[in-house]
Amino acid sequence: MGLFNSAPRVFLAATALRLVLLVYGGWQDAHSAVKYTDIDYMVFTDAARYVSNGESPYMRDTYRYTPLLAWMLVPTAWEAPAPWSTLTFAFGKALFALSDILAGWLVVQLLTRCYRFPTERALRYVAAVWLWNPMVANISTRGSSEGLLGVLVAALLWATLTKKPILAGLILGLAVHFKIYPFIYGVSILWWWDAERDGSSSIEAGLLSKALRFVTPSRVKFVVAALASFVALNTVMYLQYGQPFLQHTFLHHLTRIDHRHNFSPYSTLLYLSAAGGAETRFEALAFIPQIALVVLALPLVLAKKNLTTTMLAQTFAFVTFNKVCTSQYFLWYLVLLPFYLPSSSLIGKPKMGISAAILWILGQALWLHQGYNLEFLGRPSFVPGLYLAGLFFFCVNVWILGIIVQDGSQSVEETELVQKSKSP
Amino acid sequence: MKRRITFIQRIDAGFDPQQVVLTSSSLSVRDLDAAREDRFTVELDQLPEQLRGALEHSSGLHLRWASERPYDALAPFASRVSPGLHVQYTPLKTDESPEALCTLLRAVVGPDKDAQFKDCTKPEESFIEPPLSTNSASSASLQYHTHLPSVKNLVKYIQNDVCAKESTECHTSANALLTADSIDIDYDSSSRALTVSGFWANPPKGDWTDQIMKPSSSADQIEFGLLGAEPGLEPEEIKMGGLLAVVGQDQKLKPTMFSFPSRHQHLIESSSYTVSFTPPTGLHPEMSITIPRSTLKQPPAPNDATCALHTYLTLPSTIFGDQYQLATTDPLFLESHNLAVLKAHAGEMDLEAPDWVVKNWGSSWLLELATPPTQEQDQTPVPSNWTATIPLHLRYLPPSESGYRTAHVPWPIVFWACTTEDEEGMGPNPFERTHLGWDGLFGPRTTFYQLSPAGERLVEDVDVPVLQLSGEGMFQGKFIELGTCVVISLGFLWVLLKLVRVAWSSGVGANGKSGRVGAHDKKD
Repeated sequence: MGLFNSAPRVFLAATALRLVLLVYGGWQDAHSAVKYTDIDYMVFTDAARYVSNGESPYMRDTYRYTPLLAWMLVPTAWEAPAPWSTLTFAFGKALFALSDILAGWLVVQLLTRCYRFPTERALRYVAAVWLWNPMVANISTRGSSEGLLGVLVAALLWATLTKKPILAGLILGLAVHFKIYPFIYGVSILWWWDAERDGSSSIEAGLLSKALRFVTPSRVKFVVAALASFVALNTVMYLQYGQPFLQHTFLHHLTRIDHRHNFSPYSTLLYLSAAGGAETRFEALAFIPQIALVVLALPLVLAKKNLTTTMLAQTFAFVTFNKVCTSQYFLWYLVLLPFYLPSSSLIGKPKMGISAAILWILGQALWLHQGYNLEFLGRPSFVPGLYLAGLFFFCVNVWILGIIVQDGSQSVEETELVQKSKSP
Repeated sequence: MKRRITFIQRIDAGFDPQQVVLTSSSLSVRDLDAAREDRFTVELDQLPEQLRGALEHSSGLHLRWASERPYDALAPFASRVSPGLHVQYTPLKTDESPEALCTLLRAVVGPDKDAQFKDCTKPEESFIEPPLSTNSASSASLQYHTHLPSVKNLVKYIQNDVCAKESTECHTSANALLTADSIDIDYDSSSRALTVSGFWANPPKGDWTDQIMKPSSSADQIEFGLLGAEPGLEPEEIKMGGLLAVVGQDQKLKPTMFSFPSRHQHLIESSSYTVSFTPPTGLHPEMSITIPRSTLKQPPAPNDATCALHTYLTLPSTIFGDQYQLATTDPLFLESHNLAVLKAHAGEMDLEAPDWVVKNWGSSWLLELATPPTQEQDQTPVPSNWTATIPLHLRYLPPSESGYRTAHVPWPIVFWACTTEDEEGMGPNPFERTHLGWDGLFGPRTTFYQLSPAGERLVEDVDVPVLQLSGEGMFQGKFIELGTCVVISLGFLWVLLKLVRVAWSSGVGANGKSGRVGAHDKKD
């Protein structure tokens, strides 16, 4: 009981967990040929080295990120004698781990202040899902940059719920520049942020006035700020690094040719069609269900009722219907779970919640087993193994998505902070 | 046309003067046990139009083919290349290269039924640029390799397109290449002549019995030599002695003795290696090079030379190394694989692309291998073999009916390279062999000592798992298409249905308006 009643205790424990993992990672890297550090982190640090030599980060093959990331990690390229070089090398991982903690802190703040959670309850959910989640701590201390996305999304929510449209827009632009997918949140925030949300209470009839009322100062500020930061960042990067920047950060995702096996239900189909064996080009239409759900149907139906659940559903749908899906994508919706879980029917109806968890894990296990057969044993498990496992996992995800949608119909008020900030 | 026939007898082989008989019109050899090199030199203007056209566009064209069967590479023919066909090509003008070379390649490689080669219309498409060489005399600007177990199509090409119709000698000589252990074809724009050499480490029928007629035209010449080789006074020298003659000119065989420097040396205490992939290979096969530890001794190189053990990999596009993984300086990684350093790599480096989008034939890798520490602790028993391992990765290959495809991976060559600081090249060598792909990566004053590959076949066939597709039954492409389409559509409709129900029951705005008003009430 007492474990969660002190915020410092929860955050200290989360920090300690990450520190231990950082130190352990440094030890394993120094003593074993099998490295703790993620291969992507080597890509980041190589790119940072190029940047610190005044060269383009895209000189490193497979660097497919904004140059901001390489810039942030420049300290990892600093030359230092032996014990210090380990520290400079770990700089980026520490930064990612710190982002985790910060994201967790922001989520706790939002839960207690905007959703009127008792501190203890907020801490319990955030610790279980995010702060103390070994998977989250492991991913960031191995040097994967997904933790940065977590803090950006949490900050976006914080700026939105505290009604700071310009800041929210700026953060959204930055997040989309960092990794394209957060653009989906722009749609739901925009729809959610109606005049009533800004405190105007009159409800007028008439189509024209309705359309006019859609254009509110907050929405305009939000959109302009988002576009401004997105365009500004891209312009700066383009001027600095030219075509390679566009190619690797954005265009690559449109023209990618590496259809190696992954969790996506499209995986086998993409292999087939890329090798020239498909009769139709169904996969060319894959964006239709994904975009229709993520940027149209989900925000339109749910955003005004429950913003955070809508964002969770959007992320879940985006990942489920995406043409590529790897385990790091799961981190994208993890940061939003503490908003949804407490009032969800997955917790309310334990049978359903446990079934969902078991089925999800089963889907992963089936796929991973087939993936192991292929990757390590060299068995041609593409069909039926990986194919059916991918489709089964998709079905499980769709079922869970349906539950989240249903739960999203309950309206949630989040006015506390506004009241505080507005009352002098 | 000039022809040079060289027999190399091993030191312990017996010889009876009756085995070689020279007359005014011919030379006969009988029951001779020896290695043989047969070299033909043809002037450019004696070649047929089509081939001449192709050669005139090149500044240098060097083909090296080695058999998949193991053979003894004895001095002065001690150098090796990995099995298959290697092409080293330098176009005359860098901006335009002819299609003829690709046509030639297709003729020589294409007809083979399990041919796995990267086709081209112009060499730049599938040829790779080798790493910057330190020895420009020995390297070309473009490089190509392909798996080629048999040269029957090359022989057919020579017989149909190069030999004059009436020349039975040409047809016979071309036919003889079918049993050769290695074949070199060289053209150089400075000499404007094409040479074709075959090498047989052993007589294909047990011994050599052959009659060589004096050439019918006075413009042609046939040189003959029966020689033995032994180490020279200097470590980089080879001393040869034996009998020489020009068939039809000389009345009798002339005894001879000469020595010359050679970059390719025979390893006196011979050392062998085997190459394997540890099963299961999965999608990340690891190549092992295993050498008996007792034979791993530094060669007797000049005193001021530094020697290191190297391997040179020629990998088809289906299998590749990760340049970032292999170029690491992490001592733990290198030690665990018994590698010292990645010295050079060239060619297709993409880590993700499936094979069908890769245009290059593949890649080549020069690695320095670690050698066992000289003073090992006697207490711990050391394994009798020294194994270096190289982590590699497989590309996605097109679907097949069996669910597998084969990556033919030629054994790499393994050799000691002993380098001195001296910048000057070595003196002339009548048996010089350059353009091997790897020799240009070392300074001009380097001597090489090959280890012998010990196996029945010097190509490893790695099974690559692929998407299994068949014309009928459950593994059909259309089932995959249809299945994916149906499941995703149903999933999409399911979520839409849920959304419609939510919208139906509570609209698209915030429901529970009283709550909202209540909030405003509080605010006001």
